[in-house]
Amino acid sequence: MEKLTSPYKWGMVIDLDRCTGCGACVVACQAENNVGICDKKEISEGRGMHWLRIERYWVGEYPDVRVRFLPVMCQHCQDAPCEPVCPVYASYHNPDGLNGQVYNRCVGTRYCGNNCPYAVRVFNFYQHEWPKPLDSQLSPDITVRSRGVMEKCTFCIQRIRRAKEEAKEEGRQVRDGEVQPACAQTCPSEAMVFGNLADPRSRVSILSRSPRRFQLLEHLGTHPSVFYLKGGGREHV
Amino acid sequence: MSERQLEELREFREFRESEETPKTPGTLQTQKINDDLLSSLRPPTLRWYVLALCLGAVVAWGLAAFTWQMTHGMYVTGKNRPVMWGFYITGFVFWVGLSHSGTMVSSILRLSQANWRRPILRAAEAMTVFCITVAGMFPLIHLGRNWTFFYMIPYPNQRGLWPNFRSALLWDMTAITAYIIGSSLFLYLGLLPDLAVARDRSKGWQHKVYAVLAMGWRGTAHEWSVYRKASTLMAALIIPVAVSVHSIVAWDFAVTVVPGWHSTIFPPYFVIGAILSGVAAVITLMIVIRKAFHLEEYLTPLHFDNMGKLLLVISLLWSYAYFVEVQTTWYAHEPIEWEVFSFMSQRYTPQLLIMLAGNTLLPIFCMCFKRLRRSIGTMLVVSLMVNVAMFIERFLIIVPSLSHKNMPFAWGSYSSSWVEISVNLAALAGFALLFTVFAKFFPIVAVTDVRELEARRAEVSMGRAKVPSIAGEED
Amino acid sequence: MKRRTFLQLSGMTAASALLAGCQSKNEKLIPYLIPPDEGVTPGKATYYASSCTACPAGCGIVVRVSEGRAKKIEGNPGHPVNRGRLCARGQAIVQELYHPDRVAQPLKRVGPRGSGGFQKITWAEALGLLTANLKELQRNGPDRLAMMTPQLSGSLSALVDRFMRSYGSPHHLSYELLAPDWLRRATRTSFGQPGLPYYDLAETRYLLSFGADFVESHLSPVQYGNAFGRMRQERDTVRGHFTYVGGRMSLTAASADRWMPVRPGSEGALALGMVRLILAEARYDKAALAAHNLKAELLLDHLKGFDLAKVADLAGLSKESVAEVAREFATTRPSLAMAGEGLAFQTNGRESVRAVHLLNLVTGNLNRSGGVYPAGASDGPEHSFAELPALVEKMRTGGIKLALIKGDLRHSIPPATGFQEALDKVPFIVSFSTLLDDTALHADLILPDHAALESWGDVIPRGGLRQTVYGLIQPVVTPLHDTRQFGDVLLAAASELGGAVSEVLPWKSCRELVRETAGRRLATARGGDFETLWVELLRRGGGFDTGTGPGTTYRWVAAAKLPTPDLPAFAGDEVQFPLHLQLFSSTAFHDGRGAPLPWLQQLPDPMSTVVWDSWIEINPKTAASLGISQGDLVEVTSPRSTLRLPAVLYPGIRPDLVAIPLGQGHKGAGRYAKDRGVNPLELLVLPEGSEQAWNATRVRVTRISGKGDLVTAGHPQGSYRSDLIGI
Repeated sequence: MEKLTSPYKWGMVIDLDRCTGCGACVVACQAENNVGICDKKEISEGRGMHWLRIERYWVGEYPDVRVRFLPVMCQHCQDAPCEPVCPVYASYHNPDGLNGQVYNRCVGTRYCGNNCPYAVRVFNFYQHEWPKPLDSQLSPDITVRSRGVMEKCTFCIQRIRRAKEEAKEEGRQVRDGEVQPACAQTCPSEAMVFGNLADPRSRVSILSRSPRRFQLLEHLGTHPSVFYLKGGGREHV
Repeated sequence: MSERQLEELREFREFRESEETPKTPGTLQTQKINDDLLSSLRPPTLRWYVLALCLGAVVAWGLAAFTWQMTHGMYVTGKNRPVMWGFYITGFVFWVGLSHSGTMVSSILRLSQANWRRPILRAAEAMTVFCITVAGMFPLIHLGRNWTFFYMIPYPNQRGLWPNFRSALLWDMTAITAYIIGSSLFLYLGLLPDLAVARDRSKGWQHKVYAVLAMGWRGTAHEWSVYRKASTLMAALIIPVAVSVHSIVAWDFAVTVVPGWHSTIFPPYFVIGAILSGVAAVITLMIVIRKAFHLEEYLTPLHFDNMGKLLLVISLLWSYAYFVEVQTTWYAHEPIEWEVFSFMSQRYTPQLLIMLAGNTLLPIFCMCFKRLRRSIGTMLVVSLMVNVAMFIERFLIIVPSLSHKNMPFAWGSYSSSWVEISVNLAALAGFALLFTVFAKFFPIVAVTDVRELEARRAEVSMGRAKVPSIAGEED
Repeated sequence: MKRRTFLQLSGMTAASALLAGCQSKNEKLIPYLIPPDEGVTPGKATYYASSCTACPAGCGIVVRVSEGRAKKIEGNPGHPVNRGRLCARGQAIVQELYHPDRVAQPLKRVGPRGSGGFQKITWAEALGLLTANLKELQRNGPDRLAMMTPQLSGSLSALVDRFMRSYGSPHHLSYELLAPDWLRRATRTSFGQPGLPYYDLAETRYLLSFGADFVESHLSPVQYGNAFGRMRQERDTVRGHFTYVGGRMSLTAASADRWMPVRPGSEGALALGMVRLILAEARYDKAALAAHNLKAELLLDHLKGFDLAKVADLAGLSKESVAEVAREFATTRPSLAMAGEGLAFQTNGRESVRAVHLLNLVTGNLNRSGGVYPAGASDGPEHSFAELPALVEKMRTGGIKLALIKGDLRHSIPPATGFQEALDKVPFIVSFSTLLDDTALHADLILPDHAALESWGDVIPRGGLRQTVYGLIQPVVTPLHDTRQFGDVLLAAASELGGAVSEVLPWKSCRELVRETAGRRLATARGGDFETLWVELLRRGGGFDTGTGPGTTYRWVAAAKLPTPDLPAFAGDEVQFPLHLQLFSSTAFHDGRGAPLPWLQQLPDPMSTVVWDSWIEINPKTAASLGISQGDLVEVTSPRSTLRLPAVLYPGIRPDLVAIPLGQGHKGAGRYAKDRGVNPLELLVLPEGSEQAWNATRVRVTRISGKGDLVTAGHPQGSYRSDLIGI
């Protein structure tokens, strides 16, 4: 994406050595983004709506068994497989390097969901409801998605927008650490760091150059904006 | 006037004469042909009504199921994350494949001047139109918000929003629209002289309708000349469209990064698969038409023998393509690709075996023997089995790959719901209903084509010698 | 926005919301007939600092309020406990506020108890009923009043204490299933001072946790989760090592470098075995031993019975690994050992905790950076579990006529204590629950409390820091329903009662009480104008620089016996009940108070990835021998009771151990928790003389059917295929 004119390229680094898998980010995301409440049946059908999930892998057998946690949200790929396949441009690339999703443009072909190798796109199979007065909690900044449309992590674009507007008013750029998605903001062990990858001195840029860095399914050439830092030392049981 | 035009003029005169003098020795009676072939235009019988009603009921049930889905949401299907496509897209690919039947018979056989095609030509062409129409419904049915389907149409609008031409789904839409238009024209073109016959033989409102549809066809030599050119051109043009349609359908899968989908062999493999199911469908159709319109004299075991040989070749090609696809997966043993294949072969073993039996073992074995090729019963079983197997093949391409995609934690599974099954059954019934209705209102056997064949076969006495009434190629 | 005008403003917001309510068709348009004051602008959010009440850790929170409604809870960046971070439970308490099944006004029982029949009454009637009962009891035996609450802190704790004392009843039960009484008592025995430890996790180089699940529930999860992250990756050249000792791989253990699956109840012996090895190999800290007046020779002599071979055998571990960990722990300084619920909830729990104290002592990790300090917040009950049987006995024999219950004790007290049956004998029960939970369903009068986000209060965060922190709880929205704060009800009752009770409780409301408490605690330290301080406190969410607590260092009490953990005792015959049962607190539910909230029900358990359910974790080998596969419905039988729940094949658990999460199995508590899962406390048998021995029961597991209705977020086979993504 050489044509980017924006001075921002939002990205995230997730340090798996810090991540304890506690799930705080999952609830933070759900609270921030009006993610639907899914009952047991819905989840049993594979129709859960969490934008962010913590994958838990078992490695080895008792007693030499280990657990690996991997928080997975939209990777905001620079060469995103979801974008070209959408027939109506509901899935598009924004100038800040984010994968946008235009809910009211989405017709629901679910092609993007199939083509997302990270399986982070969730589809509104159901019309989600918030029994009163639970709906009072819904954030006014974000649409409540209707059934039949695809949705996914946006890196809390509403927060990014707000920060950019504030920065613009003050005639400056968004400062490093000024804006964080809900997940990174709440992460107890500070495993998630969010920032501007276009700024080589931002914390996220520095961490993304760590020798421990890797990206998910790198071989697919999707060029994600999310970097992971390998969890060290857990080989020794 | 050129040689050819003179010949056509003569041919036409022959027809006119034969119509006036019914009892021409050595030929089928033209009157009888017309009566036979236009019999479908007579008022519907009770049997027809019962059939149409049954089919209509299934379609209505499917429509109800679809309405249920529209009003409740996609949760009434069996789809989920990660299996976001299921029976609808299986049905879509299947029907697109079937639509290749008409192209096959009408174009390839027409271009190769196989005369026995004539009685089934119309039916096959109609089948193409109906199959692709049914196929075209599926992508719309499967939308999460069906009512916004028009977002995919490139129409000028105030917001300057256009569809995304990089999307294979848009290519799909374009190709299918083109194919629907092309095959409809093809059908209509072939129908034109027959509509004129129907116009001449009908009264009342029917006459008016046919008169409009026949577009003033009078059967002049010039008209015939243009007609022939147009037919040949259409026959030649529709083949690349057909190939492109199924290649594009294959690209829906091949251009993705889904393991088990992302494969260079998919377009030719899909085209071969489509032709396989198309040929099988034509065989089934031949048997049905032969029975329904008593065309035993036109469609002889020899014709089935020919079709059997064609089926054998296509089935061998398909088997080869399938083998190549699996073999590269197996040899490379790329972990996730191999995972998808092993999952598919373990979870769907019976389906896989039925698919291999129906697409490979059964046709290849049976079509090797002349006796079996000439046995109508065998041909019926084999041709039906091929299409059952082809439906399974599409399912096995779509569902297992999505079930075990790249992220193992997010694997899933799929089982179809009653809504999806209903809609698929309704598609089948809808296709049959369209066909039944079409057969009632239009000559389902191409009158002119058959009569042309009869004319070619007829002999006239010239002195003591008997020579063909028309100078031309032998059939 | 000026804090003083807050209530006015929220009233205004309510008025406008009311107006909006009248025009339901235009719900999304807010008719601001009253011109919006600064701070309340549609589309512009306001942030209020408060404290989290989801667990006693007392993290600071910031609540985003938009158009008079609480939208999102975030960590308070200025709060020293959680440093702007927050766990899943803390973020979910906004759903406690907006829970669709909240009790909206006082209820009076109709029909038999437990039938769920209630009649709506007004607060005047309700308070009349309460005070009538209190007055009558005051005349003929005030000691027949029982008050049962969670372990309170701050001004509410003082209020309840005063109320009970002035009323004349000694029966105040401060009960919490997971309360760290065991830790307070062990600390008192070893070091002669009450209180909880502060682990300097961020600075340590070797962390050895004996069953302390600091990521899920131990003391202060956010604080220690944060410190853990810093221990791992905040220092340039040092990455802290983490070894976990415990029979079940908990969420905390999943982050460990080494997991030592010890036999349940042998942790104390293992710690002492390590102490002995360290002493024998002279790897101990001589200065530290001297400072605590201990002699290596005497200790060695005392620990004769804990030689490596015996300890390793007892723990079911290899000698090599025990020795290796002991040496690593002794030679990597600073290091620290934590003692947690995993070892404490055994019959030998307290001595085992003290064994860990000794381990920290001989390696010189007490009172040092990267080691263990006494925490600033030290007060708290130490004997609540000893008081429980006494109260149960009193209730059983009809000694209690009126019970005031805050919290869902019916659900969180193991029935083996006889509490539930005894409570049924109490003629009048008042519940202050916000939902119709198990306790409220059996109550005669329900006086619904405010949700935390509607209340005034204060909290002294439990553990977690060296200095005392004073966290403030302030309402962020106007009360949604016709509810009243628990403290306000007590104050109202006190003024009705008059006499001594109203004398010691002169406040009109909790707000007044909190203001005064805050003033007393903080104003003297700072001086200056109180109003300025109060506004500052409300803005910051509390006072965070209040100095260190009383006992700033640990010192081994000379008179203290050296720890000698006995062999653990277990309820249930070993042949009949071959498996140990461990109950654990999951990240979502804690001791059960998270269960009513849909976000937490929906949150996949990090380890099993189960949603909306209870489950039992079984080692795959054990499961195979019992013919159980993933998702099967199994029956768990203890000597006391039987439960049915789905099985999860769990590679991270000892083959002789099964584990069930706490928190589910509510009979009520709203639509999301009602009749969901099982309450494993029903299985427990409490061995003679034990208090918090929640893990000392043996069970047997049998397969019932393949239909366990288990839903996991993770694919059962895919969960073992990390090779496919190369992590």
